[in-house]
Amino acid sequence: MDTKRLVPLVALFLLLIVLVVLFFTGGKEKRLAPDTSVAVSESGEGVIEERPTKTIVLYFLSDNDYRLHPEEREIFTDIPEVDQVKQTLEELLNGSLNDGLSPLPEETRLREIFFTPSGVVYVDFSRELYLNHMSGSAAEIATVFAIVNPLVRNFESIQRVFILVEGTERETLNGHIDLTRPLLPRFDLIVGGLLKNFPELP
Amino acid sequence: MRIKIIKAAVLILALVFVSRLSVFPQDQKTIVIDPGHGGLEVGAKGKFGNLEKNITLPISLKLKSIIERKLAYRVVLTRDRDVDVSLERRSAIANNNKAFVFISIHANGYPGRNAHGSETYFLNLNATDEEARRLAYVENNSTELSQVAGEHQDDIMMILWDMAQAAYLKQSSQLAELIQHELNTLLRTRNRGVKQAPFKILTGVACPAVLVEVAFISNPDEERKLLTENFQNDVAEAIYAGLAKYLERNLDR
Ligand SMILES: [Zn+2]
Repeated sequence: MDTKRLVPLVALFLLLIVLVVLFFTGGKEKRLAPDTSVAVSESGEGVIEERPTKTIVLYFLSDNDYRLHPEEREIFTDIPEVDQVKQTLEELLNGSLNDGLSPLPEETRLREIFFTPSGVVYVDFSRELYLNHMSGSAAEIATVFAIVNPLVRNFESIQRVFILVEGTERETLNGHIDLTRPLLPRFDLIVGGLLKNFPELP
Repeated sequence: MRIKIIKAAVLILALVFVSRLSVFPQDQKTIVIDPGHGGLEVGAKGKFGNLEKNITLPISLKLKSIIERKLAYRVVLTRDRDVDVSLERRSAIANNNKAFVFISIHANGYPGRNAHGSETYFLNLNATDEEARRLAYVENNSTELSQVAGEHQDDIMMILWDMAQAAYLKQSSQLAELIQHELNTLLRTRNRGVKQAPFKILTGVACPAVLVEVAFISNPDEERKLLTENFQNDVAEAIYAGLAKYLERNLDR
């Protein structure tokens, strides 16, 4: 084999390596849009179609105030609403993409979600929601409304959220906020939101 | 004859004395102080390992002794040592003692280490405006019902008073304002204003009720302060001062 025939082969080989490297490194920078947002069609012909998505808002915490700080995510909309809610809470459990502190304790898992016709959604978390929770009123308020606010904000069919732990009702996380009723959102806790400390009292 | 008059006079004096004795304690109003958490339920933890339940008790005891020293009110604690007391039991203690005011004492916690300062909360019903109006209406009209329930019907009373606080939000807000003002002045902390949240402990209390977060145990500086006699005394004095102003303004009730 002489060198003249080898040159194009080596060039082709190098090109292949460059392509492989690009394939694996490219796209990793933009984690916002999930890698699978472009999916292979069900016919399996290799035809590529865009899955429909929508932008939702989640809330994380800061060490400098006790407000809820919004962050956007994309979720798929070609799946049942209950799975969209699951995606939303999974994104919340995955944590902030900026430097936001997580409102949910470590190792907390989402167990199940139930819709009711009355606009109440039941969200069931694993026991870590209270076992690994730091307690304290401010921390409990943050955790509870970081769960309630995005569900009501992003899903028109949801008006209230009932938080369950291990499939059952829990009085409070660790002694403060009442979890025995379905909760309305508190948008006044969001940074820049209207502070509503003194609503008109009956 | 003379002896009979003396006997009668003594009898009358004795009757007056006895009736005074028995009337006085009934007229004396009760303040219920609730040291947050206790027993296995430890509350928030500091970075140095201090527990909320061990901070709330000494502050509550100090507040009790200040009130007893300066005012003619009876003070009842929901716990006076390190024991578990359920939230329902705590509000039942307030209701069964016909509390005039209920004050729950806590130390705050938040992720990170910067959160600081004192805050006073009163109940947020977490209800729509219309629901809140209805709850207040129902609770306002159910006071007679709760008095009908006998001594050995704690369960019935607790059910009746499930949302009792709805009828006392205005007074609770006033009490919270007065206490928070004193905390800001005395501790020279940044004014955070009074806050509202759906606290389980407050929902069933059938009298003006607030929850005071004296400082953040999750903040290492404040955790250290919370352990000192001085800070605990200052906080107790501030809460007392706010309470005293509230009582002054609501004497005729
Ligand atoms: Zn507490």
